[in-house]
Amino acid sequence: MTTGTTAPVALPGGEMLAWSDLPEQRLADGGPLGALAARVVPAGARVLLAGPHDPALLDRLAHAEVTCLLRSHPDAVALTDRAARVIVGGPAGLDPADTFDVVLAGAGLDAVESVEGDRLGWTGVLARLAAALRPGGTLLLRLDNPLGVSRLVATSPWYADRADAAWSVGGVLDAGRPANREQLRARLAEVGLTADAGYAAYPDPGAATALVGTDALDRSPTSGLLDAVLHGACAGGFVGGAVLQDPARLAVDALHAGLGATLAPGWLTLARRPGPDAPVDPPLPVVLVQTGPPGVGVVEVTDGPAGWHWAVTGGGATRVRPAPFASREAAHRDPAALTGPVPPGRLLRTLLLDACLRRDLDALRRLLGGYAGWLAGQAGPDGRLTDASALADADNVVVDGDSFAVLDPSWRATGSLPLEVVLARGLWRCAVTLLTGGYAHPWPSTLDVAGLTVVLGGVAGHDLDRATVDTAVETEAAVAAALRGLDADGRGALATELRAVTPTDPPAGPRGYQQMREAWLRQREELTRLAALLKWTEELLTSRERALRRADATINLLSGSLSYRVGRLAITPARLAKRGARAAKRRAREALGPKPPEEQQ
Amino acid sequence: MHHANHFYGHAHVLARYCGLDDGHPPRINGYVQHGWNIGDGLAPGHPYAERTPSLLWSEQTRRRAWSVGRRNVVVTGAPFAYLLDLRRDDPPPAAREGTIWYPFHGWEGQHVKGDHKELIARIRDTEPGPVTVCLYWHEYGMRRVRRLYENAGFRVICHGYRGHWWRDTDPLFLDKQLTELRRHARVASNRLTSAIFYGIAAGCEPAVYGDPMILAKEDPTFGGTARIRRQWPQLHGESVDLPTAVGIARAELGTDHRCTPAELRELLGWAHPAGGTS
Repeated sequence: MTTGTTAPVALPGGEMLAWSDLPEQRLADGGPLGALAARVVPAGARVLLAGPHDPALLDRLAHAEVTCLLRSHPDAVALTDRAARVIVGGPAGLDPADTFDVVLAGAGLDAVESVEGDRLGWTGVLARLAAALRPGGTLLLRLDNPLGVSRLVATSPWYADRADAAWSVGGVLDAGRPANREQLRARLAEVGLTADAGYAAYPDPGAATALVGTDALDRSPTSGLLDAVLHGACAGGFVGGAVLQDPARLAVDALHAGLGATLAPGWLTLARRPGPDAPVDPPLPVVLVQTGPPGVGVVEVTDGPAGWHWAVTGGGATRVRPAPFASREAAHRDPAALTGPVPPGRLLRTLLLDACLRRDLDALRRLLGGYAGWLAGQAGPDGRLTDASALADADNVVVDGDSFAVLDPSWRATGSLPLEVVLARGLWRCAVTLLTGGYAHPWPSTLDVAGLTVVLGGVAGHDLDRATVDTAVETEAAVAAALRGLDADGRGALATELRAVTPTDPPAGPRGYQQMREAWLRQREELTRLAALLKWTEELLTSRERALRRADATINLLSGSLSYRVGRLAITPARLAKRGARAAKRRAREALGPKPPEEQQ
Repeated sequence: MHHANHFYGHAHVLARYCGLDDGHPPRINGYVQHGWNIGDGLAPGHPYAERTPSLLWSEQTRRRAWSVGRRNVVVTGAPFAYLLDLRRDDPPPAAREGTIWYPFHGWEGQHVKGDHKELIARIRDTEPGPVTVCLYWHEYGMRRVRRLYENAGFRVICHGYRGHWWRDTDPLFLDKQLTELRRHARVASNRLTSAIFYGIAAGCEPAVYGDPMILAKEDPTFGGTARIRRQWPQLHGESVDLPTAVGIARAELGTDHRCTPAELRELLGWAHPAGGTS
């Protein structure tokens, strides 16, 4: 348990004095790992926290007696007020007689070993930590996947790591290090542990914002919830960096192929040392995810007899009402709304993209028509939508047969929005995804984002106009600004940025090599199209000029002919009479017309 | 952009549907498929600017066009399908009677060779009621051909001139055709052509029989009449299964892919018309 006083720091040897492992990226309340650890650790348990962890995680273990094993002396000093005991050094510094109820190695085993002393290797460290587990005790171990999504999208190869921590690069060539979940289970068995529940850690195993049960990933590859969770975690996890390809697309593809767990960036595995005092397994969530503005906490999904249910732990659990400032913002997140069942079904976004790729206009008509009809059904008598349905876009709507539902109802509009604007915003977001994402779709490249939005509206059976689309973009900027905590200037800049999105732009988010190359190809194709059009137009112009010259020549020829001159002479009286009649008519109109009012003197 | 967009008043019909003045339809950003087609939707030899959108009638044509290298191919449905929507509230005809028969036609650049007398005899033997023969303007202007059908006791009509290089287009061509089709119980031809599909969509029972005749310099790239008979045998014969025909016509005309006016304005490049003609 947290002592409130400075914990003793044990220095058994092997400490690293000029070194720090504490993560740079820290999630509120220790993130999903903190929430999971809090559930795994029973009250009053003796816990060994092996390796560097976010200090906030220690706060989530306030109900336990925590011993930290750290190789970095500065890190140990920083944690002395949060732990009962701190041991600084390699795993060899652990007292062989000291055993624990729970051993947490949430940073993996590499970060447990010090540069000082004899090398134990991955297997040796595991054996040492396993030995520290009392019979019936639990190990929570992180293992990074050498073929995980984060590795597959990395711009630098894993074997060229030049970071300070890469004094030794372990990989799939190391037979002692497990490279997949089966090998991990075998290694655990070798040290007398039985693998239990497992979680896939996305998008970065070092700062996972989503932990998803591997069983759920294996069993439910079409789940809209898992689709949204993986996509959201990966879309937000690489921002500001460079990647080879879109990690969110890859993660979702892996999910649909039944490989969501296999290609996870890392795994968190619970293992148990068999023993007579083994505790009853606590019910563990299927999903733990942290998204959106800080303070919401970790959103959990638990499995029950009636299916999956929402729950919130951490900061959001105690915050049942929107922040006071929320009323001034276009949108807010209300974790209190996450109490009911998770609606089943596939994510609308995925279904739409799939139908676009297959150019299945009938399916698109069904999906978009169904979406628009469902939105209309959510609208009040005034034709306006409120709360979660006002923000229901394809990223947060699931489709189960013919029924539509908001997946995560905690994203809510503060005011009400007209149905057409809600629909146009959802379709505009789809259009941006299709165009900037470089997706194949059934429509021509000549459409801009607003144009494709209108076309999607037509497919949905709604005749949208561009003014409505413009309002929708403004709404999107307001919603995004509110959810990102931007001020008025930021919101204005965002609106300008959103309006300027063109089909030849790469998608927002991390700079993906594939996406940049695709954007360049689209630009090249557009130039090809325009050059061909210009050539065609030039040829047509030449042809029409030639036709005009022929017509001129004919007119000149006819003008000079005797019959033309005779005819013109013959109709001269009529022409003069017509001219005179016009003049008389004009004079009569001037004389009879209303006179301008006299000026007041 | 291409003058073929004006053929049969297609651009005019689309402009009406989009709520625009149909006097001078704005320039269309693409090629509108102007007839039922077993190729890529464009006429053989049609000048093509790379990646310029092809606005096609059916999903099948779109797939075919893509497979032969066309890009920016989009299914919008036939202009006739839009006309059907524009005139969906027309009062129903008093009584549908007889057959409207479309002898296969050529055009200015390709003439048709065949025995009209033999065809007339076949029509007489087959059609149960009065026959209206609709000749293409080209044949209608050939007194010899027209007389052949008139002397057979058929009513001979022409829907108008389809136009060429934006000149003399009859903007009501399709309207006249729809009006005539709705007066008749059957539509027939010696080849499966646009008119048969239009007729089916307008409520006629279709028939395709008789010598298909020969079109001079006919392009064999996509298989010609032999392939048409192989691929659509259900539509050939003096009597065909109507529900089957209706389903095929719906797919070939892309009736289910008809766009809304706002959607069509975007696809034709009419959301911001800059003037000019299609």
